[in-house]
Amino acid sequence: MTTPAPNPLRRGLIEDRTGDPCALVIFGASGDLTRRKLMPAIYNLALSRSLPSGFATVGVARRAKTHAQFCAEMKEGVAQFSRRKPIDPALWSDFERGIGYVQGSFDDPSTYQKLAAHLDEVDKERGTRRNRLYYLAVPPAEFATIVANLREANLVADAAAERSGGPWTRIIIEKPFGDDLQSSRELNDCIASAFAESQVFRIDHYLGKETVQNLLVFRFANSLFEPTWNREHVDNVQITVAEDIGVEGRGKFYEQIGVTKDIVENHLMQLLCLTAMEPPISLSADAVRDEKVKVLRSLRRMEASTIRENVVRGQYGRGFVRGEEVPAYREEPDVAKDSRVETYVAMKVLIDNWRWGGVPFYVRAGKRLPRKVTEIAIQFKQVPHNLFAAPDGGVSPNVLAVRVQPDEGIALRFTTKEPGNATVLRDVAMDFRYGSAFGSNTPEAYERLLLDAMRGDATLFTRRDEVEEQWAFIDPVIDAWRDQAAPPPIYPAGTWGPEQADDLLARDGRRWRRP
Amino acid sequence: MSAPTTPAGGAPPAGTSDAGTGGAARLIAKLEQELRDLWKPPEDPAATPLTRVCTMNIGVVAPSRELLERYTPVIDEVTASIPARAILASIEPDGGADEITGSATAVCSLSGGKNICSERITLAVHGNASARAASAIEALLVPEIPTALVWLGRVHTDDPVFEDLAGEAHRVVLDSEYTSISSVIHVAAWARGQRNAPEIVDLAWTRIAVWQEMLARFFDDLETRPLASKVTRLVLKQACDPGAGIGPEGALMLGWIGTRLGWKTSRLAGALRLKRADGQAVTIELASVPRPAGVAPHTLAGFMLEAGDDPKAPLLRGSIERELASGLTDQEDTTRDADVIVWRCAKADRAEIEQRIRLGANKAAKWLERTLHRPARDVAFAESIAFAEHIVEDGLTVS
Ligand SMILES: NC(=O)c1ccc[n+]([C@@H]2O[C@H](COP(=O)([O-])OP(=O)(O)OC[C@H]3O[C@@H](n4cnc5c(N)ncnc54)[C@H](OP(=O)(O)O)[C@@H]3O)[C@@H](O)[C@H]2O)c1
Repeated sequence: MTTPAPNPLRRGLIEDRTGDPCALVIFGASGDLTRRKLMPAIYNLALSRSLPSGFATVGVARRAKTHAQFCAEMKEGVAQFSRRKPIDPALWSDFERGIGYVQGSFDDPSTYQKLAAHLDEVDKERGTRRNRLYYLAVPPAEFATIVANLREANLVADAAAERSGGPWTRIIIEKPFGDDLQSSRELNDCIASAFAESQVFRIDHYLGKETVQNLLVFRFANSLFEPTWNREHVDNVQITVAEDIGVEGRGKFYEQIGVTKDIVENHLMQLLCLTAMEPPISLSADAVRDEKVKVLRSLRRMEASTIRENVVRGQYGRGFVRGEEVPAYREEPDVAKDSRVETYVAMKVLIDNWRWGGVPFYVRAGKRLPRKVTEIAIQFKQVPHNLFAAPDGGVSPNVLAVRVQPDEGIALRFTTKEPGNATVLRDVAMDFRYGSAFGSNTPEAYERLLLDAMRGDATLFTRRDEVEEQWAFIDPVIDAWRDQAAPPPIYPAGTWGPEQADDLLARDGRRWRRP
Repeated sequence: MSAPTTPAGGAPPAGTSDAGTGGAARLIAKLEQELRDLWKPPEDPAATPLTRVCTMNIGVVAPSRELLERYTPVIDEVTASIPARAILASIEPDGGADEITGSATAVCSLSGGKNICSERITLAVHGNASARAASAIEALLVPEIPTALVWLGRVHTDDPVFEDLAGEAHRVVLDSEYTSISSVIHVAAWARGQRNAPEIVDLAWTRIAVWQEMLARFFDDLETRPLASKVTRLVLKQACDPGAGIGPEGALMLGWIGTRLGWKTSRLAGALRLKRADGQAVTIELASVPRPAGVAPHTLAGFMLEAGDDPKAPLLRGSIERELASGLTDQEDTTRDADVIVWRCAKADRAEIEQRIRLGANKAAKWLERTLHRPARDVAFAESIAFAEHIVEDGLTVS
């Protein structure tokens, strides 16, 4: 196999990142995700000159519509949801020439024949070089059908051919990646029957967020913090993913899923991995993901007895959020009056390795909490001997808080002396905010992730073994709840979850932060 | 983010100082006090508090007060997105009494309900006080953060003010459009001889970055890549009058292509020739297009290249055309000259591919901002500018 010679004009070129030429094929192109997220992201990539010269977007969905109708729908979505407005007519007309629509049912082989013929045309007219990026913006039940049909229709290129400069095929899959370990394995097997793992890009949009990426930079580009990032210095870590909204009309969906599968199994586990992982040997996709998998494998597995002790679930009742009265979960549309679905979960997680042995990671996620906030807080140990008489009898430990959203930034809490003749201690925060320091017009997570997939960079996507390890950790918790007779305790909306969650930390002599 | 403003009552009156013994020191002490006063909590509890943010120092030196005043809004716009302490100095050794005067103010933009503020210090230096300008500016730099020196006007490496300030800076920003390619080369050579050399950057180089990217795309395809060593003809278009010489953007562009593709310059009866690595000649043409009002002279307006074995039957024809003054004014961050660029690539036996992209706003503030965001070390720049000098020296002109 020979590696093609590089383009001499790219030698030493400080590039704005651009994708490889390709046709982006969106299955489920008439859906909500396409209109709200995908099309606005692609259009913004065009605005920031990140799209390759050979590019086309092909939508596939069931409903019949003309090319003009489809373009008009997409334009309307972009006009409404793009972060940059209004639409630039010169760019849109160019962009629109690259949009196509193929109508058909996913289970009908003729859909794929039509698609193949359309893609041949696109290659000729748009210079997409037989490179294909499939995006499955469809309900998970459709994944297997689409994958099998793509394979049957010969629409998947050999992964080995790509390495010698041949055309490539990649597939982007949206969560949920299965419903438990068993189903995620089946799904992965099904995908693997058509695609090599290097061709699969599983999206966890949290990884597309600037602050999450910055966690790697923060940890591994600053020599100050890494030496203290371990059991010698860290007392505990608290990861919070809090939302103030309820189920927002998606009661039917939520009844099937609950917060543990919706948030903890994927986003929260990923935040935990990035916080706890060892330095990777490089920033290549596999080097980073290898380290994340090691963390997942080191998580102490939950058993029935420890689940009762270390996991707390809850469901929101009526209450007040931001001064407004809000209904209980069970009063939401499409939610069972006796629903046992959890809208809150808190866990004490232990990582059995040299770095973290004995350091608890307290993680929690919930709906209808007082504020929308996602943060990772590293709480350092107390000083070994207290010289100062602080009002509450001690010096508060240092806390490093990485805020993922909103107000992305990093804050370090430390203790200082108040000016004056007496030694009075006061906690102060050194607070770095992205928005203030670098401006706030950062790309949306989907822009970054789509661009990475077009460039074949899988660092910010989850690998098969990560997904399966995540499920392997979560499955026993869900199973244990299924066997429990008692429903989840109710917490009033607008509070930080049920009292039992406070007990979880109080038992260890600790308290939750109020982020 | 809102347009930058100076808070009401926040801009103290200009301080003055004679340049006699201790004069500059008194001025610095006074400016430091003014800066401290800016960040005192407001007396009116209802007033929106100001948040000071500082990620770098930006020193700006201009040869006249008028030029500095014209450039001040540019710096205010830059510091709205790169919060900084900006120290703007006009240095006029031949004018006025020997004195340094100065004032400090906050420049704020409302962002997410917060007043995010940078600091702007303005200094006016006259007569013999000019010898002290560098030390006054250095005393006002915030420690521990990067410093960029923006030098407006002519630059001489033996000028002690330049030498001292450039020695303190991490990068020195010049614009060959206003100085010249030759002076940028001299500064780059000077920097190579320094122990802790700053990076020398040229705003004209930032302006051609998009062109470089678009040009590189012609050879990204494995099929066309071998044709990179077979370029037969290049046409460069710039907005100027017939008979004009090649501008810095065009020269840098040629310098970049030449060094990337291993071309050599040679002479034939004194005239410049460009030869490929295999010894074959490349035909270079410089053409002009009319310059619409408001478009800078010598602005790069188009590019065409042909490649193949036979110059008469090229296998690849690529062009990049800039639609001058085609910008929109109803878009955020866009101006009339945030032009559309049309990229076309025609290959023998293939349909032509076309792509339109929009350049960013052609505003001094945007170019400076982009330059400050680029990685400082840029080997291609140093190589390209040396090649470009031959082209400028040899006086490639519009035919
Ligand atoms: N919406 C979001 O913001 C969001 C965020 C994260 C993840 N996701 C995930 O992304 C996926 C898609 O979400 P969505 O909200 O866009 O779903 P949606 O609005 O229900 O859209 C589903 C799309 O799939 C098409 N489709 C479904 N079954 C089909 C079949 N048998 N044959 C052909 N077309 C079929 C539909 O086409 P027709 O309309 O023509 O029937 C429609 O275009 C889901 O897995 C979801 O969990 C969504």
